[in-house]
Amino acid sequence: MPIFEHGEIKVEVDEDGFIQEPEGWNEEVAKALATTEDVTDMTEEHWKIVYYLRDYYKQFGIAPMIRKLCKETGFSLKQIYELYPSGPAKGACKVAGLTKPTGCV
Amino acid sequence: MSDNKMKSVKDFSKIQEQITELDPSEFIKLPPPYDDWVDPPMKELTEDQKNRLEHSLDGFSGIAIPKPETEEEKQELVAKFLSGLKKLLSKEDNWILLQPLLLSMENCVKCQSCSDECPVYIASGKEEIYRPIFRGEILRRIINKYLKPGGKFYHKFSGSDIDLNWETVARLAELSYRCTLCRRCAQACPIGVDNGLISREIRKLMSQELGLAAEELHKSGSMKQLATGSSTGTNPTAMLDIVEFIEEDLKDMTGLDIKMPLDKEDADILLIHNFGEFLSWPENIMAFAIIFEKAGINWTMSSQMGGYDSVNYGLWYDDAQLARVALEHIRIAKELNVNRIVMGECGHAHKALMPVADRILIDENIIPRESAYPILEEIVFSGKIKFDPNKNDFPVTLHDPCNAVRAMGIVKPQRKILRYLCPQFREMVPHGVHNYCCGGGSGFAIMQGKNFPDWRNGLSFRMKFKQILDAFQDKIEPSTYKYVCSPCSNCKGTFRDGLTYYNAFDKAGIIYGGLVELIVNAMVDIEKPFIEWELK
Repeated sequence: MPIFEHGEIKVEVDEDGFIQEPEGWNEEVAKALATTEDVTDMTEEHWKIVYYLRDYYKQFGIAPMIRKLCKETGFSLKQIYELYPSGPAKGACKVAGLTKPTGCV
Repeated sequence: MSDNKMKSVKDFSKIQEQITELDPSEFIKLPPPYDDWVDPPMKELTEDQKNRLEHSLDGFSGIAIPKPETEEEKQELVAKFLSGLKKLLSKEDNWILLQPLLLSMENCVKCQSCSDECPVYIASGKEEIYRPIFRGEILRRIINKYLKPGGKFYHKFSGSDIDLNWETVARLAELSYRCTLCRRCAQACPIGVDNGLISREIRKLMSQELGLAAEELHKSGSMKQLATGSSTGTNPTAMLDIVEFIEEDLKDMTGLDIKMPLDKEDADILLIHNFGEFLSWPENIMAFAIIFEKAGINWTMSSQMGGYDSVNYGLWYDDAQLARVALEHIRIAKELNVNRIVMGECGHAHKALMPVADRILIDENIIPRESAYPILEEIVFSGKIKFDPNKNDFPVTLHDPCNAVRAMGIVKPQRKILRYLCPQFREMVPHGVHNYCCGGGSGFAIMQGKNFPDWRNGLSFRMKFKQILDAFQDKIEPSTYKYVCSPCSNCKGTFRDGLTYYNAFDKAGIIYGGLVELIVNAMVDIEKPFIEWELK
């Protein structure tokens, strides 16, 4: 398995940079992962999305529907793309420390 | 031809870093507004990935085969391949598709009728390794040399030599994932040789005997489905949360208060969707519910493990996984005591639970299984719902999902609906059973890792993208919004990624969506437009 290294941070990731053990996540890891996603500054808005994703994931074991993410955080899909250029699934979920979405999504 | 191309079939066994390099400038050209399109360079594997993963076929890694560390390990894998190949050819071990496989292996006369039919081969600029008969030829040479009596002696005179080493096995495994299993080649063959089936059976050998399969299909696919209830990882609790949200969203969008029927016993229809619809295209779930409720259908969905995700990835790579998932679908239908199972807009799920499951289901497990397309046709023309086709007055074209259309012959219902409800409907060329694959068939739509998406978006989606652009040439300006109707989740995933890759909404005003969304959009009772004009 590849290892993602950034400064002091060292975590196991999959071939596309998603962390393998969601428990190994913390805000420092998130900031480090954000650098791989063209996110230079983790603003309050970035964290709002991250924590919504993490809370949903903790409760249900999957990432929420994108429509639900938009509705419950108040961001449009366009705004989410502005915050995370590779989008909610590939970008935001990665920074939030979720495993890569699977199935026909 | 440049120097970076394979020269002869024998080179397939050569020990070298990579036997073929793709050159996007050789790919087929696209019509306006892409006539000046220059392909971005295709993503290469990282140095770290190149060190760890096999990529010696064409530089791409579809299934992330780890490089063996020792010579012994390589030999062990080659031995497993050979014993697996024996099993593949014996009736004791290959219980689903042996006869068509043997007929295809033994009767191909290499007339090349199939070559011009393959969207990947043609779009690549006729890359030799993607020629439809190429995989079968490699396999045939291995069988002749290594499995037939005296083969090692006679092959020297036959002009069809090949060396069976680890390179050959690893390349063949990857090569079986460069065919979308669309089976256009089989349809074109004068004697019915099925090179798509050969690709699929190679995948099966690799999965069942060597443990090599795309992670998205196996570990995070059918294994996850059997463990959680869905390849998306959605368990029954999450399923209920999602349904509740969709009901609220449906009310916000349409004002309709519809309760999705779940686990209702003795219903006429158990509707099973590809669960990707719930997560990525919930409008499709809503539209089905609206249509079925308005038409007074006695239907239900299941919220039980095994009953809410119609996907069956085993169809693409593994018989055992295919059977396990199919039996789950049947079990749920029997528990609910429904008359029939109906598949939503998912092509491979159609094929897996209908013609293929017909080969494995016996006695009390045989219950009727049907496609949603003809049922929708019946409803649309029943007079139970009022339509105003002018609400769909924009250019629409229709994609034909290979598994439902070419494989199963469900051609007319979806067209009759579109001809009635979409005044600007136009066919692709070619269409119906002759239509091209979306380019994401056989699991490619969900194989999102490493550099494989570039191969799909840049190459295997290309022929379909050309067809779409051709169909809309009269209205190609981005200010005219256009709709590609794709009644299949897997194809929709391909369209989402492919149209995004080519920025087709901004450049040409093209979006995609399902069939039921167009039906609901034309309903007189639904006041607000149901279709949202954005690429999502």
